[in-house]
Amino acid sequence: MPRNKTTWRRSIFVVLIIASLAILTVSFRESDSGPVHAVQQFAAGLLSPLQTFGARAAQPFKDGYEWVRTLWSAHQEAERLAKELQELQGEAIKLQEQAEENERLRALLEFREKGTFPLGTDFVVADVIGKSPTKWQAWIQIDKGSADGVQVDQAVVGATPNVGEGLAGKGLVGKVVAVTPHTAKVVLIIDSSSSVAAKVQGSRAEGIVEGSVTGRLVMDYVDRDVVVEPKRVVVTSGYGGVYPQDIPIGIVTSVGEQDVNIYKEIEVQPFIDFRVLEEVMVLLVPSASGTGG
Amino acid sequence: MDRRRLLIAGKVLTVLVIAVVLQVFVVSQVSVLGVTADLFLVLTVIVAVTRGPLEAATFGFVAGLVADTAYLQPLGVRALVYVLTGYFAGLVAARLAFSGPWGVALLAGTASFIAQFVFGVFQFVMGPRAAFLTMLGTQMLPEAVLDGLLTAPLYVFLVRVRLLPRAPSEPAGPGGGAT
Repeated sequence: MPRNKTTWRRSIFVVLIIASLAILTVSFRESDSGPVHAVQQFAAGLLSPLQTFGARAAQPFKDGYEWVRTLWSAHQEAERLAKELQELQGEAIKLQEQAEENERLRALLEFREKGTFPLGTDFVVADVIGKSPTKWQAWIQIDKGSADGVQVDQAVVGATPNVGEGLAGKGLVGKVVAVTPHTAKVVLIIDSSSSVAAKVQGSRAEGIVEGSVTGRLVMDYVDRDVVVEPKRVVVTSGYGGVYPQDIPIGIVTSVGEQDVNIYKEIEVQPFIDFRVLEEVMVLLVPSASGTGG
Repeated sequence: MDRRRLLIAGKVLTVLVIAVVLQVFVVSQVSVLGVTADLFLVLTVIVAVTRGPLEAATFGFVAGLVADTAYLQPLGVRALVYVLTGYFAGLVAARLAFSGPWGVALLAGTASFIAQFVFGVFQFVMGPRAAFLTMLGTQMLPEAVLDGLLTAPLYVFLVRVRLLPRAPSEPAGPGGGAT
């Protein structure tokens, strides 16, 4: 009887709809401790271990799927990251440069504040923009010139990272030998033509510190009867009219004597590492202060 | 209830148990394009195609209660949705005779979309305000496609293992359905 069958089927359908709505209504209306919620929570409690187990069992497959899925975008991601890495490396290098420059400038500032410069000395901080192309000469070019008050025969000091144990890294660099409005040439104290009137602290030894083509600093014209010990600090004596007195030059590393020479041969290691010199200060000493003659 | 009906009920019950196990163990753990397939709904449609609207509605009712319990939702929401889905999918299948797996898949995808639409309306009215149009693109359509794609192999498998009969290839008469 098809008609009865259809009726039966529709009746069941209506019953199911009503049952669903009834359960839904009760579920919404009753409190959390009601019977429908209690049954649901009990059944959920039965299912939850299955769900937990299922989640654990499926994890390797999920990871595998995720791995395959991300493989598609991995190439693009790698390209993007490589580009980003390049940019960040550039940034890092720039920051490192800035940090180093900051450190050097701070050292210069400290030198300026703590150094024993003549009263009223003004300072012109300059960047090193060029260096002598051969080892036969030792000079640098700086980015400050006559327009900034720089003149020939002014002393130049600097600060570099420490070059050895106990060395301050701050000291005499050289003197200005040529000037243009916006640049100047500074001959370093290690140049073979350089000579600086100097004295050894802690003794009455005085002499001339001379440069050489090998980069060695030698203090000459020190009488043999004067006692000079290694590790003593050598500073400018102020004689000669170019360098103010008491500017640190370097440290005595060895003291030698030769029978044929009436003077000691004192080797001096400069405080400045001229290989890494990037900023210097030109000393603008007021004429009244003098530079020791 | 004669033995034949008992056997059919047992098979449908087996399908339900398989559905619970698969849904809990596998399907709910796998997310494709951000959505998870609804195996209960897929099986409700397959039962509708192979057994008819009444069995599908009954299957959907029980499956809905299980799903609501598993997902800790208000009891009856999915039961209602699946009852409606199973019944009407069964009627449509009987009239249009979806016998091939891709036909069944198309029906399941459509049913999934409509069911989710109803479910979405229900959520919109009863629950917190949802961005309905956003859900249309991010949930309803992708899940409908996923459900449809899952239906074809599952239908073939269940028919092969004789848990469910092949869907009739001839349209039934008015009010007809597989029995």
